[in-house]
Amino acid sequence: MELVELPVPEPKANEVVVKLAASGVNFIDVYHREGRYKVALPFTPGQEGAGVVTAAGGDVKSVKVGERVAWSHLLGAYAEYAAVAADRVVPIPAGISEQQAAAAMLQGMTAHYLSHDVYPLKRGETALVHAAAGGVGLLLVQMAHHLGVRVIATVSTDEKAKLARAAGADDVILYTQSDFEAETKRLTGGKGVDVVYDSVGKTTFEKGLNVLRPRGMMALYGGSSGAAPAFDPIILTQKGSLFLTRPSLGNYIATREELVARSGAVFGMISSGTLKLRIDHLYPLGEAQRAHRELEGRKTTGKLLLIP
Amino acid sequence: MKAIRVQRTGGPEMMEVVEVPVPQGEPNEAVVKVSVAGVNSIDGQFRDGTLRTPLPFIPGQEGAGVVTAVGAQTKAVKIGDRVAWSGTLGSYAEYVAAAEEHLVPVPASITDQQAAAAMVHGLTAHYLVNDAHKLKAGETALVHAAAGGVGLLLVQMARAIGARVIGTASNEEKAELAREAGADDVIIFTKQDFEAEVQRLTGGKGVEVVYDGVGKATFEKNLNVMRLRGMLVLYGMSSGPVPPVDPARLSEKGSLYMARTTLAHFTATREELLARTSALFAMIAEGKLKVKIAKAYALADAAQAHRDMEARKMAGKFLLVP
Repeated sequence: MELVELPVPEPKANEVVVKLAASGVNFIDVYHREGRYKVALPFTPGQEGAGVVTAAGGDVKSVKVGERVAWSHLLGAYAEYAAVAADRVVPIPAGISEQQAAAAMLQGMTAHYLSHDVYPLKRGETALVHAAAGGVGLLLVQMAHHLGVRVIATVSTDEKAKLARAAGADDVILYTQSDFEAETKRLTGGKGVDVVYDSVGKTTFEKGLNVLRPRGMMALYGGSSGAAPAFDPIILTQKGSLFLTRPSLGNYIATREELVARSGAVFGMISSGTLKLRIDHLYPLGEAQRAHRELEGRKTTGKLLLIP
Repeated sequence: MKAIRVQRTGGPEMMEVVEVPVPQGEPNEAVVKVSVAGVNSIDGQFRDGTLRTPLPFIPGQEGAGVVTAVGAQTKAVKIGDRVAWSGTLGSYAEYVAAAEEHLVPVPASITDQQAAAAMVHGLTAHYLVNDAHKLKAGETALVHAAAGGVGLLLVQMARAIGARVIGTASNEEKAELAREAGADDVIIFTKQDFEAEVQRLTGGKGVEVVYDGVGKATFEKNLNVMRLRGMLVLYGMSSGPVPPVDPARLSEKGSLYMARTTLAHFTATREELLARTSALFAMIAEGKLKVKIAKAYALADAAQAHRDMEARKMAGKFLLVP
């Protein structure tokens, strides 16, 4: 990643050009950079951002110049200006800063679809949240706790355990010191949990199936330790008629209506104080390399933003 | 009493009629005079050794009849009660001893044959549309083997909910049965590609849910006929087990869901068993659910019943009448 001087983009008929106030840094940006996910070269990375509309294409009706907007899932956010499809940007309500909006789009909407759609959590249920001090994890714990759900969290260090507890986790398992399968069974009196939210994948998947109650849901939404392996479906029967999904955010904001509703719900939680974002790491745009190194080194907690 | 006994596992001929003492029953069991026993594919799997149970054994998991004796600890049933059950081995006999928690009351409004025929297939269809995927009016469901034992009941229940049903069947005769049960469209999978047909019938959108008791033969194409965030419920494997699944494929095909279910987990508590059976029996009594009987055989003709069931020529439920 190198800092270059480029012309400000011109909007196509269905696009707006946005002057970025903040760009979110996500693991998917690393995958694009490495080539693990293919993108046509050369490219400007970054999938998430917020700023002010400075120009609009001829067909654009939903947004106007001067409006504050945010988006995710559109490449090119590591820049001073980005041209983005008008029907994929959402308005930022008053009271939410552009930094908050940029920080909440991907991870906030992910936590929202996991807790409200993949497995709609109900008061009194128990959820196991892996990597609970991670970007999505901290938001998911807060949402689950707010819904009246008992949250069992897994983390790697004492420092992260404190963060997970502060976010509302009822019990925190340091998986580096104790076996999360045995601990989860102990904590639930052998009954197991209603849902496992797993972004870790390879190292947690199989044990995760052992801590679900009969008819429980395995929501496998990432693979930070590597991809979960292929499994024999009969295992789901043997472990109690289990359910499994492997979701991605794009499929949960597929329509304009759903994107607007979901981002609006997340912004509403931020406004009301239900959801607290940790924006602890701000980097100038020119230090994108350092941001990636620190993200990959797992030295950070909470959200990383680039400020153009 | 007369009973069917399997001394060695193997073909239908391994089932012989024998004279054995009427079972006594444990303190938590009731003895039931069997008026009708259900024949299920699982009975064939125990008979041929695919599924294991100590030998010799009396086959049969399902039936209906009248309680003739109760153990000292039984509370849920009394002598003279009409009851039905599933999950109790030993039902191919004139009498069976069954744990009382497996026995459910049969209302006066339905016959013993209806009750016995509905237990496994009907309860399965019920949990599939109500719990494995809570089917809603306006949704579209793909039901494989729609003229099968579970299939015909599943189609009726899905239609009663107001869902659009696309069924698959192997021939025109079975397709007609599926249509009579309420299927909106039936794909004869021996003549048409079900993937292409489902795409065509749904205008390329795909279905909300696939109910699949077939397994191996249909799995791959199932992944291509579901809409975004659709649900694949695997509840059987009549064509063989589904090979290992890479979870990433569920993501690639549109954040799909899958489950691999079995009835026992949906009747695990006494409350759930009773609630599910009473809902099922009420549908039968009200005429909303028609249970098709393929044929009722004399107990001594159990081997022929297995042959006919395994030949898959007749649709509906196979029964034995002791």
